[in-house]
Amino acid sequence: MERRDLLRWMVATGGIAVFNRLAERDLLQLGAAAHHTAATAALSILTPEQARSVAAAAERILPRTNTPGATDAGVTAFIDTMLSGWYSAAERATFLAGLATLDDRARVLGARNFADSTEAMQDAILIALDAEVVAQRAAQGAAANDHWFAMLKFLTVWGYCTSEPGMRQTLGTWPLPMRYDGNAPA
Amino acid sequence: MSQQQVPRVAQQYDAIVIGSGMTGGYAAKELTERGLRTLVLEAGRPATPAAELTDHRAPFDAPFRGLGDRRYVESRQQVQRRSVTFDEWSHTYWTDDVDNPYSTPEARPFDWFRARQVGGKSIIWGRQVYRMSDLDFEANLREGIAVDWPIRYRDIAPWYDRVERFIGVSGKAEGLAHLPDSVFMPAMPFNCVEQHVSDRIAGRYGRERVMTIGRVAVITAPKPGRAPCHYCGPCERGCVTRSYFSSINATLPAAEATGRMTLRPHSVVRALQYDARRRRVSGVHVIDAQTGAEHLFTARIVFLCASAIESARILLNSATSGFETGLANSSDQVGRNIMDHIKNAGASGLIEGFDDRRVIGNRPNGIYVPRFRNVSSKHPDFVRGYGFQGGAGRGGWQNATRAPGIGAELKATLTRLGPWSMTFNGYGEMLPRESNRATLHPTLKDKWGIPSLHIDAEWSDNERAIHKDMSIAAAELLDAAGARNIQRSTRPPSTPGNANHEMGTVRMGRDPKTSVLNGWNQAWDVPNLFVTDGGFMTSSSCQNPSLTYMAMTARACDHAVREMTKRAL
Repeated sequence: MERRDLLRWMVATGGIAVFNRLAERDLLQLGAAAHHTAATAALSILTPEQARSVAAAAERILPRTNTPGATDAGVTAFIDTMLSGWYSAAERATFLAGLATLDDRARVLGARNFADSTEAMQDAILIALDAEVVAQRAAQGAAANDHWFAMLKFLTVWGYCTSEPGMRQTLGTWPLPMRYDGNAPA
Repeated sequence: MSQQQVPRVAQQYDAIVIGSGMTGGYAAKELTERGLRTLVLEAGRPATPAAELTDHRAPFDAPFRGLGDRRYVESRQQVQRRSVTFDEWSHTYWTDDVDNPYSTPEARPFDWFRARQVGGKSIIWGRQVYRMSDLDFEANLREGIAVDWPIRYRDIAPWYDRVERFIGVSGKAEGLAHLPDSVFMPAMPFNCVEQHVSDRIAGRYGRERVMTIGRVAVITAPKPGRAPCHYCGPCERGCVTRSYFSSINATLPAAEATGRMTLRPHSVVRALQYDARRRRVSGVHVIDAQTGAEHLFTARIVFLCASAIESARILLNSATSGFETGLANSSDQVGRNIMDHIKNAGASGLIEGFDDRRVIGNRPNGIYVPRFRNVSSKHPDFVRGYGFQGGAGRGGWQNATRAPGIGAELKATLTRLGPWSMTFNGYGEMLPRESNRATLHPTLKDKWGIPSLHIDAEWSDNERAIHKDMSIAAAELLDAAGARNIQRSTRPPSTPGNANHEMGTVRMGRDPKTSVLNGWNQAWDVPNLFVTDGGFMTSSSCQNPSLTYMAMTARACDHAVREMTKRAL
C-alpha cells in the first residue's frame, strides 16, 4: 500500500488518533493488515487464502534477489485479472483445483498449508510440479501448457516481465531507448 | 427563371471519395489540391491520434499485458485477430466481424482483413513499399495469363516519384532493373548480423541474389509536420510524431489544409446511384452508421477507394436496370480475380560470432531480398516469383516463458539474450484466376442490412510450387551466410487473404469485354467512376502493393481533373 493510501485509510477509520499510542509491534501488525487489505481488496476471483498461495508460489518461482521479485512486480493481481477476464471458466477451474493441491502437498510435508510452509518445503513442492510439466511436455508437447502449474508459471513469468519493476529494474526494457543501434555491446 | 421550371439542384460536391485509407486519403489530397470541393465518405469513426493512439503505452498499462482482450476478440474479431499486426493495442483499428460478416466455403477459408475508421488500413499497414517494373507489367501478356496490363512502367514511374516524395520512403538504391529504386530518404541501418549475412550472400551470389534493407514508408529525416522515426517500434498503434505514413498522418491533413475537403465519418455506402440517360454515377447512397438515416450525396465524379473487395461489393450492390449483375460489370469481372500473396514459407538459422553484440531500439523495418526467380533464368516448376522479408535478432525473455526450473536460476534465464537468429519469410506472387471470386451472399447482411459477400478463393499449383521453393531458397541463403541449425519452414501455405494484400477484383485492362477499368482506373461502362484501391490490379507481382495503389490513385486524379477541365466529364 502506498503511504498516502495508508494515511487515508487511517483517517477514514479514525486510526490516526490512536497512532501515537501504539507500540512498535502493533504498528507492524497494523501495517501488515493494511497491506493485506490492499493486496486482496481489488481481487475478483482469488480468495485471500488462494491469493496467499499464488503469491507465495510466484515469489519462489521468481524470488526477490538483487532485483525485484514476483511480489514486488504485483504478479498476483495480474494473475487474478487473467483468471477473471481472459481464461475460460473451465481453464479457471483447472487452475483453482490445481492451486488447492499445493496445500495438500504442504500438509504431507507436515506444514499447516503451502503459504505458511518453509521456503525449502515450498521449493521442493514447486520443483516436483515443474518436473511433472517437463515430463508431460516431453511426452505430449504443447498440451503440457494446459497443466495448471504450467499456467501458474507462465503467468508468473509473463506478469513479471511485463511489470514496471521487471521491465525497469530486471530486464532494462523500459523506458524505450528511442534510438537504434544495431551493433551495441552486449 | 420561370415559375414552371424546376430549380436545378446544384452539385453538392465536385468529387466524392469513398474511403479514407491508403488510396482514399491520397485521392482526397490530389483532388482538393487541384481545386475540387471533395466529400470523403468513411464508414467508420474518426481516429484522433493525440487522444487515443497508443504507441508509447507501456505493457504494464494494458490490462492483459499484450496477451489481448481474448474474450472480446474471440466473440467479435475471429477473423481480424489472424493478422500479424493485430494486438491488444491495435485491435480497435480492425472491424467487428459480427457487424461485418461474410462467408466462405468451409474447406476454403479466406481472411478478409478490414478497417473502418478515418485512416482505414493505412493505420495498421506494414509500411513496406516497392515499385513494380515491366517484369511485372508485361508478365500476363508474355505468359498468356489473364489479360494484359494497359500500362507499362514508364506510365507510372513519374507518379511513383511524386508519391514517394510526399509520403517519405527510406531505403537503399540497388540499381536493379526489375525492382526500380524509389526516391529515397537515408536508409535505416542493418544490424551487425544482417550486414554479415548480406555480405556473405553477395560473396556467393553476386548481384543475382541481393539482400538489402527494407524500403519502408517511415521517414528518417524531417518533413513538414512530421518528425524522423525514433525507433519505438509498434507503428500500427499509430504514431504521435507522424513518422510513418498513414492517411491520418499525411494525406488527410494535406487535403484538410486546402479548405476544400468535407470528411464525413460514420458514412456506410450502400450503393451508387446510376443515371442511365447520362451513363454516369449520379450519387452515392449512404447509411449513417449512428442514426441509420439514409442520405444521398451527389458529385460530378466518384472515386471508389473502399479497399479491393469492399469496392467490388459496392458495385455488386449497385446493380440496376442495364447492369443487372452489378454496376460497371458488363465484363462480368467485378469480384473476380481475387489475389493475395502466398506466405508461411522460408527458413531461419543461427549465426555465430556476434555474442558480444546486441540491438538497442526497435527498428520498424526488416530486410528485403528482391525477386530472383524467373528474372534472368527460368524456373522449371513455376512462373513469377517471390521476395524475402525478415531480419536478424537475439531472443529475450519471450523465448523463455516455458523454460524449465524455478528461482534465481530461472530469473537469470529470463535476462539472458538468446543466440543471434536470422530469418527469411517469403511473399510469393499469386496468379489472377476468374474462379477466385466474391459474389453477393443470397441472405447474409451486415449490421446495416447491406448484402454481404461470399468469398471463394484458393491457391493454384503455381502458388503451391512457389511456397515450396521459398523454403528451399531461404535455406540456401542461410547456408551462404554460414548459419547453423538451419530450419526450413514446415508450415502449410497461408490462408488466402492473410498477407493483407487482397486485390484484383475490379481489374483494369485494354478491352471493355474483359476488364472493368481502363488504364486510367476509369470504369469502361461509367466514365465518371474511378476505382483506385487494390481492385484495379491486373496481376499481383510479389511486392507489397500499397505504393502502386497510391501512385495509380494520384495518376487517376490528375487524369480525371484534366477530363473535367476539357468538359469530357
